[in-house]
Amino acid sequence: MADRGGQRGGDRGGFGRGFGRGGRGDRGGRRGGRRGGRQQEEEKWVPVTKLGRLVKEGRINKIEEIYLHSLPVKEHQIVEQLVPGLKDEVMKITPVQKQTRAGQRTRFKAFVVVGDCDGHVGLGVKCAKEVATAIRGAIILAKLSVVPVRRGYWGNKIGQPHTVPCKVTGKCGSVTVRMVPAPRGSGIVAARVPKKVLQFAGIDDVFTSSRGSTKTLGNFVKATFDCLMKTYGFLTPEFWTETKYVKTPFQEFTDLLAKPTKGLLIDAPTETVEA
Amino acid sequence: MAAAAGGGAVRALSQKEQDIQMMLAADVHLGTKNCDFQMERYVFKRRTDGIYIINLGKTWEKLQLAARVIVAIENPQDIIVQSARPYGQRAVLKFAQYTGAHAIAGRHTPGTFTNQLQTSFSEPRLLILTDPRTDHQPIKESALGNIPTIAFCDTDSPMRYVDIGIPANNKGRNSIGCLFWLLARMVLQMRGTILPGHKWEVMVDLFFYRDPEEAKEQEEEAAVAPEFAAITDYQGADQWGGDQWTSDVAVPPVAPTGADWGAAPAPVPTGDGWDQAGAPVPVDGTVPPVIAPTGWDQAPQPTAQGWE
Repeated sequence: MADRGGQRGGDRGGFGRGFGRGGRGDRGGRRGGRRGGRQQEEEKWVPVTKLGRLVKEGRINKIEEIYLHSLPVKEHQIVEQLVPGLKDEVMKITPVQKQTRAGQRTRFKAFVVVGDCDGHVGLGVKCAKEVATAIRGAIILAKLSVVPVRRGYWGNKIGQPHTVPCKVTGKCGSVTVRMVPAPRGSGIVAARVPKKVLQFAGIDDVFTSSRGSTKTLGNFVKATFDCLMKTYGFLTPEFWTETKYVKTPFQEFTDLLAKPTKGLLIDAPTETVEA
Repeated sequence: MAAAAGGGAVRALSQKEQDIQMMLAADVHLGTKNCDFQMERYVFKRRTDGIYIINLGKTWEKLQLAARVIVAIENPQDIIVQSARPYGQRAVLKFAQYTGAHAIAGRHTPGTFTNQLQTSFSEPRLLILTDPRTDHQPIKESALGNIPTIAFCDTDSPMRYVDIGIPANNKGRNSIGCLFWLLARMVLQMRGTILPGHKWEVMVDLFFYRDPEEAKEQEEEAAVAPEFAAITDYQGADQWGGDQWTSDVAVPPVAPTGADWGAAPAPVPTGDGWDQAGAPVPVDGTVPPVIAPTGWDQAPQPTAQGWE
């Protein structure tokens, strides 16, 4: 909730100091920076999970294949590889404090929204002692939580889908966000915070309505995210047909996965378990 | 496994009936005094003393279903068989040995299926458990990781997140061993490794849990036998006739297979012979005609060849 640490036992100096130091250049509009001298680390991704191995080998090309089987994504590089063009934006950095014997222990909580403006969004929240660490961690978490967003039409089905398929609502804490389909050209009719999220989702027109304490950015942004997740959870007549089951990638590529990975030849194949 | 058609004691029993007989002997049909509502369909009746009796026909069918699922996994190493309880640990290890799966005996470290940073991280395609109650941690984790679960469920076992529940008694040591033995045999039969109708040469007793003291006793008895084999070795092949040599060969391999001690009567003559310490000469003179045939049946041929 509202982290007005200043109320606790004073020490506004510390509060201001911590905030100012971290907040100066890091607030808002950090577009995937921090990639400067780190090229080498990124290229050497050694997948740990089976899914990671399949994605690295290129057996899985679209993230939709992962969504189809509800596979948990544990490595953010998977998303980076499958959804190119992911942009991230820091929504807010709030300092949160904990009281200790020796004063307050301040940490920074970063909210990051990630998206490709074409049907995929992710939201990440991370708290860390330094702003940069928090932002980095939040970006990773946001990538792990990328979900598909279903878009539909308001009226005539001409052109590409541009709005939400139906009225959906999402809730987090006391904040409820309701999204209503809008005709083309309406634009995103929403507050600054959800507008950002909806832009990243790739929704062009929508009417929104919110309730509750929208001041709490954390809950507000989570509520819109929850709302967007529900767009694919809504059963419309298009889904009435019987599902044609597809083999899971783990079954399809079981031979490939059975091979031990290079680094592990020394110890044992991935599937060995040491209790 | 032809389905039985009435009749009974006079004609030969079908595979299914034999299995059910074995399960009855192992007390697989005895449940507990409580019954979970989802297990009601597998219960036959409640005894006067409150114990629920499980319908073994349904147990057998569920075992078949589980075996089919196990066979459908292309890579057997992706299957994990688990038991936290001591009674199931030996069975689980043997099952894994014969079907090619992986066994976890003992404590399940939380996060084995979910924490990718752990060294013991593994993503199995199938999980087989002995008891949903004691093995509740792996069940919770497999739910997070899209892993189907098969478990032996007693009448009072929680069925949450268990995909295939095999109604059975998972409290008794014989029961657990018997069930894993049957499941392993069914899997091997479906794969084609064993021909149906033939007896599986691996004994059920191999899957039973042995107390450490009991295991120690058997090992001591087995240790005594090889000592004698060593002695005869030194006393030279020249003095002994070919007959006696082969009889010496036949007996030692028989003794160490610990399982045979269960079926005590047959080897008793030999047992006595060994106990009468010293040269086996007097005993062997009478024993060879009796022992040799059985010895050859039980002892695997390669050992004999090694001696000759």
